Amino acid sequence: MTASTERRLMEGSEAIAEAAIAAGCRFFSGYPMTPFTELLEHFARRLPDEGGACINAESELEAIGQAWGAAATGARAATGSTGQGLSLMQESMSEITRAEIPIVVFNMARGQGDYYQATRGGGHGDYRHIVLAPESVGEAVRITQEAFHLADRWRHPVLIYGDYLIAHTAEAVSIEPIDFATKDPLPPKDWAVDGRLGGTGRSRNVNPIGMEKGSKGIDPNRFWQALSDKEDRIAAAEQRWEAIGTEDAELLIVAFGTLARFARAAIRDLRAEGLRVGLFRPISLWPFPSEALVRAAAGCRRVACLEQNAGQMIDDVRLALLGSVPVVPIGGISTDPAGFGIGALLDAERIAGRARDAYHGREVPRGVVA
Amino acid sequence: MSTAIEREILWTGIGGQGVQLAAKVLALAATREGREVMSLGTYGGTMRGGNTDATVVVADGPIQSAPMVSRAWAAIVVHPRFFEPVAPKLRAGGIVVVDEDLLEGTLPACAGARLPLAATRIAREAEAPKAAALVLLGAFAQATGLVGLDALEAGLEESLPSYRRQTLESNRRALQAGAAAVPGVSHPAWRKEAA
Repeated sequence: MTASTERRLMEGSEAIAEAAIAAGCRFFSGYPMTPFTELLEHFARRLPDEGGACINAESELEAIGQAWGAAATGARAATGSTGQGLSLMQESMSEITRAEIPIVVFNMARGQGDYYQATRGGGHGDYRHIVLAPESVGEAVRITQEAFHLADRWRHPVLIYGDYLIAHTAEAVSIEPIDFATKDPLPPKDWAVDGRLGGTGRSRNVNPIGMEKGSKGIDPNRFWQALSDKEDRIAAAEQRWEAIGTEDAELLIVAFGTLARFARAAIRDLRAEGLRVGLFRPISLWPFPSEALVRAAAGCRRVACLEQNAGQMIDDVRLALLGSVPVVPIGGISTDPAGFGIGALLDAERIAGRARDAYHGREVPRGVVA
Repeated sequence: MSTAIEREILWTGIGGQGVQLAAKVLALAATREGREVMSLGTYGGTMRGGNTDATVVVADGPIQSAPMVSRAWAAIVVHPRFFEPVAPKLRAGGIVVVDEDLLEGTLPACAGARLPLAATRIAREAEAPKAAALVLLGAFAQATGLVGLDALEAGLEESLPSYRRQTLESNRRALQAGAAAVPGVSHPAWRKEAA
C-alpha cells in the first residue's frame, strides 16, 4: 500500500485535491473564498511535489483564465470558487465550453442556491456543461476522478457541485486511483495548442466560434450546431443517479448533494414508522436524469422536492414528470448568519417532519426554514 | 436496513479549550482502529470565547448519518455554556461526560447517563492544565471502549503539527489521567442497545 492509497481521515477539501492529483490534475488556480479556500490551500501544498503548479490568482477571472490556458495546452487543469466567485467566471465558462476545452471546475458552494447557475450554462451563448453533485467525501473522491475523465472524453467542462459540508467534513477515505480509460479509451488530444506546430503553418486553434483556421468564414452556424449535437450525446450518455426504496414508495423525495444525506437519515426514521418513502438523488444535475426519475416516481402519490433554495431543481423535476405525479416543494431558503449554507434545514428530523406532512397530504410550510 | 452500530458523539465547549483538537484525536484514533468515521467541527468567527462544537460519528459499517446529526448517543461537555441546544439531541442509553469543575449551576436535563469528572483539576494535577478536553476524552474512551487508549495516543501524535510537538507529553498525560479516573467500561459502545 502506498502512502496515497492508505485509508486516512481527510477533510473533504484535502480528499478532493488528492483525488484530482490521482486523476492527473497538474494545474490549479483559484482565489480564496470560504468554503473553497482549503481546496486551494491543499492544491498549493501538494501540486509542486507532483511536478504541477498551483497559482493563487489575483481574482476569479484570472484564475479561470489561467486554468483555461493550461487546459488548452492539453494538461489536466482545474479551477473553482464558491457560486459567488463562479459568477465572475461565467464569461470564461461559456468561451471554454464552446471552444471544447476539457476543464474541471469546483463550486464549493454556500448552499444550493447555485443550481440554476450550474445547470443552465451561466454565461452567454448556447451551451450546457456536465454538473456532478457528490453527497459525501467518499463519493467526491470518485466523482472528482471521473470528472477529469469525462472532461477529456467529451472535450467539455465538468463542474463539481460541492458545499461547505463536503469541504469541511472529515471522513476516513483512501484515494485509490480509478482507471476509467481502459474501459472507455480517451481520444488523443490532437487539438491541444501545445506549441508543437508553431512556425509550420499548421498551428492549431481552439476557438469558441469555430476551429477551422484559415477557412473563409468560420461558419459558426455549423460549429455551434455540432456542439449542440455533442451536448445531446452527453445528455443521453452521462446521466447519473441513485434511487433508494422506490419499489414501494408512496412519497418520493428528490434531493441532491449533501442535503440528500440528511434526507437519507430522515427516510431511515420514516421507514421505521412504517411510512413508504423513497429517495431519488440526481448525481448528474446536468444532464438531469429525467427518465430515471419518471421510472422512480411511477406509482408514487406525490414527489417531494427537497432543496436548500427558493425552488430551482423543482423546474427539472416538473419538466421530467410533466404533471404525471404532483410535485411539492419541502425545502426552502435556509442558511446561517454568515450565509455559508449551514441552515436549519440541515436536520434529518426537520426534514422527516416536512416529508411526513407531504406524505399525509398536509401543507408543508413555505418560506425560510429557520 | 443496515445493522451497523453507529455512535454519534457531540462535543461542546468554548473556543480555546481544545475541543476541536480532542474531537480530531478521537476521529483519528477510530480511523486507526479501522472504523468508519465522519467528523465535522462547527465554530464561529471568534476563535476564543465563542461557541465551538464538533460532531464525530464512529461506526462499524457504512455511516448512514449526515455530518450534522439530530440525535446522538453521547456528549462530551468540555464547557456547559452552550450545552442547552445539544441536550435535546441525546438519546436514552447513551452517556454524557462533563467537566464538573466548570459547571455554572446545574446542567440542563437530558437523556443518557451522567459521567461527571473533575477534569480541570485532573488536568492540573497531571501538569497539563490546558488539556481538560483530553482528560474527558480519555475518560470517555475508558467508559465506553469506543476506542483504545493506544489508538488515542497515536491519534494525538498524528494530530500535532511539528510546531506543537512540545505539548505531546503533557497531552498524553492528560489522556492517561482521564482514563485512570474511571473504573472501566460502564457504557459499552459496541454492544447493541435494547430496542
